[in-house]
Amino acid sequence: MRTSAEEIAALKRSRPRNRFVSVSLVVFTLLAVYAWFGGDLHLAEFDLDRRLANAARFGEAIRPYPIQELGVWDWATAVAWMGDLLAGDGWQALQRTLAISIAAIVLAAVIGAIAAPLGARNIVRRDGLINSPRRPSRRVRIAETAWLTAIRGLLIFLRAIPEYIWAFLLIKIFGFTSWPAVLALALHNAGILGKLGSETIEDIEPARAEALRALGATRVHTLIGAVTPEVLPRFLLYFFYRWETCVREATVLGMLGVMSLGSLIRDARAANFYDEMIFYVLLGSLLVLAGDLLSAGVRASMRKAA
Amino acid sequence: MKRRFVIAAIAVAGLVSFEALGLRPSEVVPTRAELGTLSSFLLGAFSPALTYEAAYVGADAPPLLLKVADAARRTVVFAAAAMSLAIVGGVVLGFLASTAWWRHDLRSRGPIARIAFPLIYVGTRTLIALMRSVHELLWALIFLVAIGLTDIGAVVAIALPYAGTLAKVFSELIDEAADDAATALGGAGALPAQVFAFGLVPRALPDMGAYTLYRFECALRSSAVVGFFGPETLGKFIRLSWDENHYAEVWTYLYALLVLIVIVEWWSGALRSRFAA
Repeated sequence: MRTSAEEIAALKRSRPRNRFVSVSLVVFTLLAVYAWFGGDLHLAEFDLDRRLANAARFGEAIRPYPIQELGVWDWATAVAWMGDLLAGDGWQALQRTLAISIAAIVLAAVIGAIAAPLGARNIVRRDGLINSPRRPSRRVRIAETAWLTAIRGLLIFLRAIPEYIWAFLLIKIFGFTSWPAVLALALHNAGILGKLGSETIEDIEPARAEALRALGATRVHTLIGAVTPEVLPRFLLYFFYRWETCVREATVLGMLGVMSLGSLIRDARAANFYDEMIFYVLLGSLLVLAGDLLSAGVRASMRKAA
Repeated sequence: MKRRFVIAAIAVAGLVSFEALGLRPSEVVPTRAELGTLSSFLLGAFSPALTYEAAYVGADAPPLLLKVADAARRTVVFAAAAMSLAIVGGVVLGFLASTAWWRHDLRSRGPIARIAFPLIYVGTRTLIALMRSVHELLWALIFLVAIGLTDIGAVVAIALPYAGTLAKVFSELIDEAADDAATALGGAGALPAQVFAFGLVPRALPDMGAYTLYRFECALRSSAVVGFFGPETLGKFIRLSWDENHYAEVWTYLYALLVLIVIVEWWSGALRSRFAA
């Protein structure tokens, strides 16, 4: 009979292990060590005393301007100051930030919903879900692969470029309307929603689609009648997750010049009004939190209904 | 909520938003001048620059491709440094923001724990919300005006919201993970930290790993964008080349970013399939 120590050793030897996972951990750790100690980050030139003095000055400057005049904290004065900022540009910028995020995610969802079936293997392949189960010729096979690669390549390119860089590029082309911000968010998120949509379609159970096909439904009808209802709940979840990030980004894109909270933040900074700058940052952060709450609420109630 | 109702609400919100912003579809149809910029930019996609586009380049300038590779490398450096901080912060805050290690036997605890645990939970949740509701570029801007944007400032600016996001997701994954091992450990008298480390985390680890790699991918993008504020990552050079109308160079930098993202997406996909097996 084996002792318990031997048994434990045997269990330990037979535990599930995976070389790829271990190698990944090692690679990431080495990468982090290299990042900190490879000499790229200038760690030494950090004059702490001077920085702290700057930080102290900044701490003074972010108190509301009338409070700085007054010398003591007074809630009524501070609230009146915030009210003035809101009534000035703040409220309008808040609305525009929200509108940019919604317009962008709706546009992204439309593009993503069109791209998703076009990039899904079981839709595009001739022997997939909505087509006849007969084996296609080699030439058709190659054409299918080329098509899938092109669509997927386009989607990964769209999402590889961050929203901020898309907006920066688009402003030069479309000027300082809201379009560059909306398009930038829409392009990046279309890349993400399209990919997630394709993956969701590839994971669905084929039974319903096969049944419809057997009844003689056309391809388009199968797509609408069998694929869409199975994929939609998932797609809506992704939609709300991505909308949350759109709200965050819509604030920031304003720093490039499009009117949103970000443009007020940029202007306040340029004028050295650090109190206003922090106020608008916090306003944006409230908007993000409100958006997260709304999104989480809708997602939870959709899950309950499902 | 009825799905039909949600979709209708989204459509209405979308239309209202387009209307409120005064977005006319006609404005996206480029004018003649815009078409020129657009087409010369898009054509650059097929011929990214392999050498400098400028007529005059300083004698000590490195070959363009080397410069691009170096900017890409620095993008990885900033992202990896930020992620290493964010993971530590995310695990610690995620532990404090999860309920699975204390909620089930709260009633059997002393009066201090009964008040302290929920307080720590709520406090951590608030801190996490504040950290991640401020965008990394805004953190960078705040550091820039508060103490001057050093490399460390840029790294911390990315790490703060990422730590908050990781903490939120980690705590949710841990709270949703199967609690069989945790219950057994707790029943055998293990401390909360032990229940957490040996009962809960291992159950949630595959999802946590996959999500962390996804955030690393996002960190690469953030690191590129932070370049607009000074650090010499890809974003800085995209801006410089773009402002000088060197579109082919812009494409070279964009493709470099694409390569980084493709590698990490492949990595995270491979890891997920290994975990699932």
